Amino acid sequence: MSPHPRIQATRWVERTAGLATATERTATPVLAPAPPATAAASMPEQVWLALHLPDIEFAACYADMPVTSPGSATARVVVERDGRLPRVLNACAAGRARGIQPGMPLAAALAAVRDLQVRLRSVRRERSLLDTLAGGSFALTSWVSLEPPDAVLLEVRGSLKLFGGEASLLAAAVERSLALTGVRPCVALAPTPLAALVLARAAALAGKPVAPREAARLPAMTSAQSDPALLPGRLAPLPLSLLRWPPDLLERLATLGVRSIGEALRLPRGGFARRFGKAQLLALDRLTGRLREPRPAFVPRERFVARCEPACELSEHAAVLQVAGPLLQQLEQFLRQRQIGITLLVLALRQRPPPGALRGEGILTRVVVRLAAPEFAAVRFAALLTERLTQTALPAPVIHLELRTGAGTPFAPGSDSLWRPGEHGGAAGREAPAFLERLRARLGAESVYGLCLLPAHRPESAWGVAEPQPLRTGPVDPRKAPGRAALACESAAHSHRGRPLWLLQTPEPLAIEQDQLATAGLELLAGPERIETGWWDGNEVLRDYYIARDAAGVELWLYRERDAPHRWFLQGLFG
Amino acid sequence: MSDPPSIESASQNPHQSTDAALASLLRIPGLWRGRQTAAAGADTCSTGFAALDAALPGGGWPRNGLVEILTPRHGLGELRLLVPLLASLAQRTPARWTAWIAPPFEPYAPALAARGLAIERQLVVRAGAELWALEQALASGACEVALAWTGRTPPVRSLRRLQLATERGRTAGFLFRPSRAARQASPAVLRLSLAPLANGAGVSIELLKSRGGARGVIELRWTGVT
Repeated sequence: MSPHPRIQATRWVERTAGLATATERTATPVLAPAPPATAAASMPEQVWLALHLPDIEFAACYADMPVTSPGSATARVVVERDGRLPRVLNACAAGRARGIQPGMPLAAALAAVRDLQVRLRSVRRERSLLDTLAGGSFALTSWVSLEPPDAVLLEVRGSLKLFGGEASLLAAAVERSLALTGVRPCVALAPTPLAALVLARAAALAGKPVAPREAARLPAMTSAQSDPALLPGRLAPLPLSLLRWPPDLLERLATLGVRSIGEALRLPRGGFARRFGKAQLLALDRLTGRLREPRPAFVPRERFVARCEPACELSEHAAVLQVAGPLLQQLEQFLRQRQIGITLLVLALRQRPPPGALRGEGILTRVVVRLAAPEFAAVRFAALLTERLTQTALPAPVIHLELRTGAGTPFAPGSDSLWRPGEHGGAAGREAPAFLERLRARLGAESVYGLCLLPAHRPESAWGVAEPQPLRTGPVDPRKAPGRAALACESAAHSHRGRPLWLLQTPEPLAIEQDQLATAGLELLAGPERIETGWWDGNEVLRDYYIARDAAGVELWLYRERDAPHRWFLQGLFG
Repeated sequence: MSDPPSIESASQNPHQSTDAALASLLRIPGLWRGRQTAAAGADTCSTGFAALDAALPGGGWPRNGLVEILTPRHGLGELRLLVPLLASLAQRTPARWTAWIAPPFEPYAPALAARGLAIERQLVVRAGAELWALEQALASGACEVALAWTGRTPPVRSLRRLQLATERGRTAGFLFRPSRAARQASPAVLRLSLAPLANGAGVSIELLKSRGGARGVIELRWTGVT
């Protein structure tokens, strides 16, 4: 290789321009010569079907409105907030006919078309639309893979025969997608997933979404689309932009005259990887099937929903629980089969509507149970629901029950310990979260709390309320325990020695003067200890602390304000 | 292992003195020995005060069972009485919680930590239904000790439930009640009544009830820093 960069660049351009030089013959092109055609007639290992939804942002935004014909309808656009300026992301056929281009500012579009319907893009709704399509595609194959934001890939080698060939399978896929999402997809078959995706995008670019009837009438391409030998020829004329590489990279390639996939494949591998990145070479390898692309399988999200309409109206809590019992049993079975646990359970109780109202207008009461740890046992759910439900008022008899869960988390029930807790050192394993949940279900979450230490000198700020931590087994090393991090050193721990075990929530003012202590029955035992801190945050504290004993023999922790009124306060008891 | 002693072998051997025969009799585990049963069989934990250990059956607080502590008012020293027990739990290997149910004030974490308690094992429960919460804490097995404060006079039946719950969950239960409860009968295994010493700096503990029937008054004086 020449050390001079300018010479090297010149050579590159020559090569890419197709001039046959001596170097070109020695370098390996990206597309290696096809392996010996031993099994040319047999099926490839994988056949991928790409379902590309070109107008998914449109379909997601206007799902509630029926599609109208391009001539009569008002123009609709989907905009995306690009910085502070909304830009048109996509426009309907009517809008495009009246001059709206994707990418133009919204203001310009409104200037062109007065009665424009504008909606903001919703990525969340697009994703749920794609999930719907992926879930429905399980009718065609068992291997479904998402390609966000706008495509679903199906591995259909095993389904080709079942559906009677490529053409009818494509027709089935298009019909299914139309039924599920209302979007006309662009479909393509190829031996590699990326090639199928690129071909489908190419079909979208050509503006020809395949209609079901057209797909069925496709010419004699019975096994042509899935034949690996024909793949390079199909890909070669397609523009490189279909690979969705970064724009600056595509621009660099374009300046070299490389605009189509075929031209990129003709470049030498080593130089290509060096100049445009290994990721791009990998993409080309996956495109042509030189390397296998691992595709993650789509796993549909599962939630449990069970409904029950009891034979009679239920006005008693106990009756509601009894009817909910079988639903909880179903839930346990559902969770056990999938080895998942849930942390959120909602029982929705629809009550009898007042006379004259429609059936759906009854009051809906929700009983929400949150669990500290994933759980699947119906007994536990029933116990928690009982606690929660008994606090819920039911203004009218219940006519309909619905049980829903939150998302499940993988959960393998652990072994029970041989010993009961407290017996021969048996630990409190699952009892501890169960105990917490039962208390919180009845008393409220904020009534049950743990303690923690805070590094502060003001006595009332030196402790805090903390979420109860799961209990670790093993003895506590006083220096490593997390709660004691605040006690930086031994001397700090010692400084808390003279502190009372009880603290009053707010210091209680005492109606005494300095010299009236004895008459008030107070005997000073120790002090003063001055605490003077907090001047930086507005809650300044200037106090002299004393330990005193009152007439009843209770040791008190008092302080006297250093400032003018010199009031006395009771802040703690030594207990 | 040696042969288990039996009544026949003790009575048939004429060379043994009566004391030795009695000692071998007393080694029989199933033999019921009047007022010392609690001492022999109970699972206890030292109180940290030698005088109190000596007076209590079994030499300490019962490991599971309900203990009632009656005080004329809060802050008399009832918590200081339990601090050595609570501190010793910090080192106990399978960690279980120490539950504070309806405490009259806030348990002050820095002071508890300075006295050796494991702060992360403390659980505070603010409950109107303190007896229900105490029963849950005792029966669940998730707590090593449950402390509860109540001002009301619970029926004997619910105290009995608490006592059964301590046995189920193997948890020590401490119920702090006002002094007037001394007149009420109680199924607790141990009942103590606290009063301040006349000259302060200590507390006198009256054993109202204990397994084995020991009664009496113990005077404890606080030593060292408070």
